[in-house]
Amino acid sequence: MSDELLLLVPEAPAAEPEAVSAGQRKPDVNALRIGLLDNSKANADHLLRMLSEHVADEMRVKSVTSLRKGSVAIPATAQVLDQLAHESDLVLSAMAD
Amino acid sequence: MNSLEAWIEQPDTTVRSGNDIKKVNRLFQQRGWSDGLPIIPPTPERVREMLSYCDRPWDLPVGKVAPRYGEATPIRLAINAVMAGCEPEYFPVVMAAVDAMCDPAFNLYALQATTHPCAPLLIVNGPIARELNINAGINAFGQGRQANSTIGRAIRLTLMNIGGGYPGAGDMATQGAPSKFSYCVAENEAENPWTSLSLERGFDQNTSTVTVVGAEPPHNVNDHASSTGTGILKMVAGTMRTTGNNDIYNYQEGTYPQPLVIFGPEHAKTVYADGYGKEKIREYLFEHARVPMGEFSQENIDSRFRRKYGDAPLELLIPIFKRPEDLLIAVVGGPGKHSVVIPTFGATKAITRAISHADGRPAHLISDLKVN
Repeated sequence: MSDELLLLVPEAPAAEPEAVSAGQRKPDVNALRIGLLDNSKANADHLLRMLSEHVADEMRVKSVTSLRKGSVAIPATAQVLDQLAHESDLVLSAMAD
Repeated sequence: MNSLEAWIEQPDTTVRSGNDIKKVNRLFQQRGWSDGLPIIPPTPERVREMLSYCDRPWDLPVGKVAPRYGEATPIRLAINAVMAGCEPEYFPVVMAAVDAMCDPAFNLYALQATTHPCAPLLIVNGPIARELNINAGINAFGQGRQANSTIGRAIRLTLMNIGGGYPGAGDMATQGAPSKFSYCVAENEAENPWTSLSLERGFDQNTSTVTVVGAEPPHNVNDHASSTGTGILKMVAGTMRTTGNNDIYNYQEGTYPQPLVIFGPEHAKTVYADGYGKEKIREYLFEHARVPMGEFSQENIDSRFRRKYGDAPLELLIPIFKRPEDLLIAVVGGPGKHSVVIPTFGATKAITRAISHADGRPAHLISDLKVN
């Protein structure tokens, strides 16, 4: 009997992330448009509000677009993502419990 | 890559262990590749034997398993099936179940990563379920039958090792559930007075299928007293209407919870004899499996239900599921006056796949799939 066993590794490597091109927009730091994406977890809205208030204390904010996912367990709709992309220079997303 | 032998020669695909079962298990535990129970060492010989019931190219993925999105190639699945203790004949069931779980509508990413105690429940229908001796009768959800135990276990090891659902990293279940070790049954078609689950979902009686449900463990419905269908259904509805299950969070947009009611054969016989077809059962349970809004805590009412129901009174009856047609019904079990209610993750859809050849033709016998 051999002293060693050759065994196959059950683990699959993680998928390579798809390449995404970085946005080319140059936000006006004196008129920042903030987007908030609430994932609908309990208290996520409170956490996001605190974060956006903190950003507003540090930078000049022109607008805040606040949207909410229909369900915590399913992805945001394309409509929600498109609106955030259109109306925001910076998007904060958060989860909480 | 063309050759399985060449794949095995790659440095990342093999590991060496001392030739001792304890040493193998210690190594797999250390690497995080085990569910904690002893595994069968996945030697190249055993994995090749597992692939003898796969007519699909060994390196052609069945799907990508979330949240890691690792490729579920037959070779990787076969390794995990060997570890689980599957017989090679079981492998087509494992492949069909993985294919079903990778359907985006099943929402495996969320099922894997959630804090909720869910696991994919496999319900196997058709001649292959009987051929493989998958338990549909006494203690079907429990221990004792190799096919149930090891097919379900192969799914769990796949979710871990291919999907990256490791506890604390990819699987964030607060407590988890014993059903996460293995969760596989066959439907008791012989004692089902209604249409079987697979026929109802569009397959014919000669086609064997696997249905996956993102499910909690079974919740018992003890009813030794009712002698009418309505009496039994009243007890089922009472078991369904709880405040703490995910399905009732059906205020969420885009989700249609599909809780599962599994009748024991004796209850099924009584309910059927009382004139209840599946449609009538669904209508009854849709109307009666409801929780008064006032049963929830004020914080839950404010954060979960006011958004949908506005200023509705606390007596408002909130349904467990949104539409009657969403309720899943099956018959499983042996003698006894018990049925079970199985709540789900909520944001998931049950998916059924035929146990098939690589070209999509359903296999009528498991031996049809033997390739060498």
